[in-house]
Parts: sequence; C-alpha cells; structure tokens
Amino acid sequence: MDASLLLELAVNGAFIGMMYALVSAGIVLIYKTSGIANLAQGALAMTGAYMAWIGGTLIGLPIWVAAPLAAAVMFGIGALIERFAMRRMIGQPLIMAIMLTMGMEIMLRGLMPGILGASVKKIDIGIPNAPIILGDILINRTLLIGGLISFAMIVASILFFNSRLGVVMRAVSDDQTASWSVGIRVERAIAIAWGLSAVMATTAGVLWGATQGIDWSLSLLLIKALAIAILGGLDSIPGVLIAGIIVGLVESLATGIIDPIIGGGSRDLVASAIILITLLIRPHGLLGREHIERV
Amino acid sequence: MKRRTFLTAAGAAFVGLQIPIRNALADDKVIRFAMPQDFTRVYTFVTVEYSQGQRDYISLVNAKGGINGYQIVADISDHGNDLPRALEAYERAKAQGAILVDPLSTPVARALVQRAAADKINLITAYSGRSDAADGETFPYVFPLSPNYWTQAGLLIDYFRQQDGDLKGKKICFVHIDTPFGKEPIPILEALAAKQGFSLQTFPYTPPGNDQSAIWPQVRRAKPDWVVFWGAAVGQTVALTEAIRNGIPMNRVASSVWLSESDMDVVGRAQATGVLKVEPCASGQSPKIIQDIIKTVIEPAKGAGDRAKVGTAYYNYGVMMAALMIEGVRKAFEKAPNGPISGDWLNAGLNAISNFDAEGLIPPTTVTNTDHQGGGQCRIARWDGSKFVPATDWFSANQDVVWGEIKKSSAEYKASGK
Repeated sequence: MDASLLLELAVNGAFIGMMYALVSAGIVLIYKTSGIANLAQGALAMTGAYMAWIGGTLIGLPIWVAAPLAAAVMFGIGALIERFAMRRMIGQPLIMAIMLTMGMEIMLRGLMPGILGASVKKIDIGIPNAPIILGDILINRTLLIGGLISFAMIVASILFFNSRLGVVMRAVSDDQTASWSVGIRVERAIAIAWGLSAVMATTAGVLWGATQGIDWSLSLLLIKALAIAILGGLDSIPGVLIAGIIVGLVESLATGIIDPIIGGGSRDLVASAIILITLLIRPHGLLGREHIERV
Repeated sequence: MKRRTFLTAAGAAFVGLQIPIRNALADDKVIRFAMPQDFTRVYTFVTVEYSQGQRDYISLVNAKGGINGYQIVADISDHGNDLPRALEAYERAKAQGAILVDPLSTPVARALVQRAAADKINLITAYSGRSDAADGETFPYVFPLSPNYWTQAGLLIDYFRQQDGDLKGKKICFVHIDTPFGKEPIPILEALAAKQGFSLQTFPYTPPGNDQSAIWPQVRRAKPDWVVFWGAAVGQTVALTEAIRNGIPMNRVASSVWLSESDMDVVGRAQATGVLKVEPCASGQSPKIIQDIIKTVIEPAKGAGDRAKVGTAYYNYGVMMAALMIEGVRKAFEKAPNGPISGDWLNAGLNAISNFDAEGLIPPTTVTNTDHQGGGQCRIARWDGSKFVPATDWFSANQDVVWGEIKKSSAEYKASGK
C-alpha cells in the first residue's frame, strides 16, 4: 500500500469528518437542551442548502448574502418546528417526539425536491476546484475550506455554551423543572437550540452542496452525523469534533485499504459499525456524560 | 377555513393528482400508451425531461392528424420507482386498453417482464431494464429500442481504440456506482480487456455517490490512459467534479448515455470541457423533428413543460423513444390497416421498424424479431463547454462480444425464469 496515498486519504478524510461533525453538532445541541435526538437534521441541512440556492440562483443574490439569509430563515424554521411541532409533544412518550422528527425528515426529503425540481442544483461559494498540491499529496481545496469553516463553527458553539445564554441552555439541559422554578424560560431556550441547530445544518448543507451539488441525497448526511454524535457523546460538542475526525479518517482509509480487498462498499459500513460498537461498548460515547439512574 | 375542510380539500386534491391526465372515451379512435414513470424518487434526474420530450412528440403527431386518423393517448402517472405502485399503474393501463407501457425504471421493467409477455403488452425498456432483452426471441414483448449498457461500454472501448490506434498495454479505469446497474458493463469490459490487451481497474463507489473523495485519488494514482465513469444523477456530477479536482484530463474521461447539460451546469460548463459520452440521438434544437415540435407544439404554447428544456439530451431521448413507438404504430398499420388495435398488432409493427432515423435525430434503426436493441448504433459526443458535439459518426462496435453476453444471459433467463 502506497504510504503517500494513505496520507492523502487521511488528510482529506479528516476535513470531511469535520464537515460531517458540523451536522452532528446540531443534533447534539438539541439533545443537550431538550433530550431529543433530532432525526430531521439531515433534511434540515438539505433544506438550508436549497434555501441558499433559492437566494443565490433564483433571486440572484451574491452567495455571501444568500447563505447568511438562508441561515436566518432556517433559524426561524427551526424555532417554528419547536413551537408548533415539538412543543405539542410535551407529555407524550419520548419515542413519539423522536418519531415526529423522523416524519419531518421524510417529509422534507420529498417536499423540497418536489417543489424545486429533483435535478442536482449547483451552488458556487467561490472555492476553485484546483487542488493544493504538497509534494505527492493532493489536498482537496473544497474539503479543506469546508473543514476549516466547520471547525470554526463547532469551536464557536463550544464557546457559546460558556456565554450567558449558553449557561441558561445548559441549565435547561441539566434539569428542566429546576430551570423553570428559577424563572428560566425553558421553551424559549429549546426553541433557540432548534434555531441554532438549523443554522448549523444550513452551514453544513451549503458546504456539502458546494462539494456535491444540492439534491435530496444531502439528507443522507444524517447517518454519518448520527454515527459521530453517538461516538462523540450525544451531549458533548467537543466530542463530535473528535468523533468527526475519527469517522472521516476511518471512512476514507477504509475506502483505500479495504475496498480493493472486498470489492467496494466499506465506506457506509464504517458508520454503521461505529454506531453498533459504540452503543455496545461505551453507550455514552467518548466524551458524553454517563447517566446513572438511581433506583 | 376550518381544519377539517382544509384536510378534506387537500385529500381530494391528492386523490385527483393520481388520476391520469387524459382519459379518452371508449369509442374514441385512440391508441393508448401508458407511461407510468418515476417522477419523484430515483429516476427524477431524467424523467421530467424524457417525459416532456415524449409528450411533445406525441402532441406533434396528434396535431398533424394522428396516425391513420387515430390519436395517440399518453397516460402519464408517477410510480415513484415503487413496485406495488408500478404494478397497480400497469394493471390500470391494461384495464384501460394500453398496448404499450414505458416505465423508464430498471426494477419496474424487470418486475413487468413476465406480466407483459403474458398480457401481450409491449414493454419499452429504453436505457433501463434487462440488457439481455435485446434478444427478441427470448423476450418477444420487451423492446429496449436503444443501445443497452453492454453496447455502450463496447462503443466507448472502440472509441478509445480509434483514438490510440491500439489499446494493448493501456490502462482503463472504470469508476462505477456499486449497484447491479453500475456493475453491468464489467463482463464486457473484462472480455474486451482480454481480447485487446488493455488492463482494467474497477473502482466501485457507495450509492448514491454523493461522496467519492476517497475514490478519485486512487484513480489519479493509477495513471489511467482512459477513465470511464458509470452512474446517474448526483453520482455523475460528483464523479466528474472529483475527476477535475484530481487533475484528470477531461478528454480522457467518458461516460454512458447518463450525462446531460444539467450535469454540466452543476460541474461547471467550462471546467467539464472535453468530457465524452455515448450519444444515442442528436442533442440540441437543430434536428428537423425538434424544429417541427417547436413550430407546431411549443410556439402555440401547447408544450408539456419548461420551454428551456426543449432540445436537451434527455428531452431528445424522450422524443427518440416516442418517435420509435409511433413508427411501430405506422408499421403496424402498414401490415394490418384494419387492426384490431392490440398489443400483438403493435408488436408486429415494432418488429418491422426498418432503417428509421427520425429525420436525422437517431442512427438508422432496424428492429427485428431477433434484435430488439435496434442495431446498437450510437455516436460519441464531446462537451465543448456549451453543448455536446459529435466526436464520431453513428457506429456500432464489439457487437460480437455484446451479443455473446446477451445470448448467455437470455439463456440463463430461459432456464431459470429470472
């Protein structure tokens, strides 16, 4: 096996992993605040990318206006989902709330291509296709920039949890009843979490859209995002960063090492194997908090 | 509006959408084609334009008085690549008297093969379905009427040979979606590699192909003389983008019929300049038949869809298939002017299509009882930055190898029924 090929796959895989991690960070944000695993995160990324495409291509705005505008619209959509769908599930079994997010995933996956046309859409964020060449190693410029933006967003969300609003959200995450009793507006905090999660999804959707084009398949990011969130710990933002890099690296290297032996298809096995192994060996993930029920 | 009223209205609208767009009266002089296709799931990348081309051509024929005074009715519905829905659509079409069904979906076409044979309804499997259905003796009611994937692979290899003089010692990389469709050309490529002395390296990618970033560095490092990429929709645009990012020269990269102008928009029209594809019919608006459609159907605002799509590759594929189907009707009237209009009647017509070129849109096509592919002619086209331009004339190649595979596979079907 060519060592420089492995190095190239590893470097590009790490950047891909950071881009996956940005989708996961949205899942973690909602879980940390409301205890619900949002299975619509992939479809929100797809919807956010479509929104940026509407602004950039249909309306004709420059991408640096269209993308933030899409993020703002998606913040509103995220908050509305909490207000008009998730809040109605209060008092219902948790599984029903999770099933509701799955229903939204399926609906959005059909709705957006149904309205805007199913062909792949182009979104140009100004990153040239020309690679960066370091000796024998080729670094994909789109992945490099996408990975760095994702890294910055995740670090920003870690810092956010140390801000005043972040502390409020952490309090809600720790104990909703106690938060209520000290005057914290729990519903508002959860709505903000949904909004911020939708903003992260939009950023990820735009970055992935620039890499692969925009169509329904962006919603498949959910599988990778779930694997990363589970591996990193469903309530740990730093965890998703580490887990994202691990998943990206392992996936990329598996394609280079295992695929030639088994004839392909190892890439998707990696995500499912990570979900299974993590849940069996360390259910709270690498950096997640272990919940111990007192009986 | 009350919520219940709204829900009732929405439900009624949904049910209404399921009804085919045109229901002719039983005593109309009509010939009914059923076109239940996938407008919402897997084949969405092609169906809208393909169906638009078919409907516009049928409108053209009807506007000119139909065939022998008969109007062609195209029943359009959405099967969503879902077998139960497709079977329901097929049964409905049969009950309404359809003599031809065009599902444009490999799983649906495969599921309908035996039913169509039993019901004597002609099943069109253009660019989809079983490649061995070219064998008209084994599949008398299945009509690909287009070059199958084995033929397309054989054509590309022959084009490479024409360019390089000889493929001995050359390396060809085959990057494909890891599905039966993606793997389909491999037996032909392997047979031709053994015959012509080139080495073949295959690179499967996970469906749908939205992340191929770990595949293409390996392709680049293999230092191929030629690269063939084989997928559809997002898999094609991602493959081409990754090929560009890896610095693979576009004039050494080629694909099947599944490459369109829309794909070039996603990849970047200028950056994709030079990429090659198999072209089963002329693209663009210059062919006479497309000009007729524009004059008679589009300009009077009777077109079936977005005017900007008229003349795209997939639109013209739709026109091509509709033209072949209607040529089959013409031939059927020549053989039996008084009908009766039935699947058998049309079957005889389709099998009598001879040297038909749709006024220059397609290569001369002859369909016989034994060859339902129609001769396997195509041309190789090159993207020039704004459109696909022919890089060759119409030709067929390696049909001995292709028909060897067709006969082998159809014999297995005869023996096993699968």
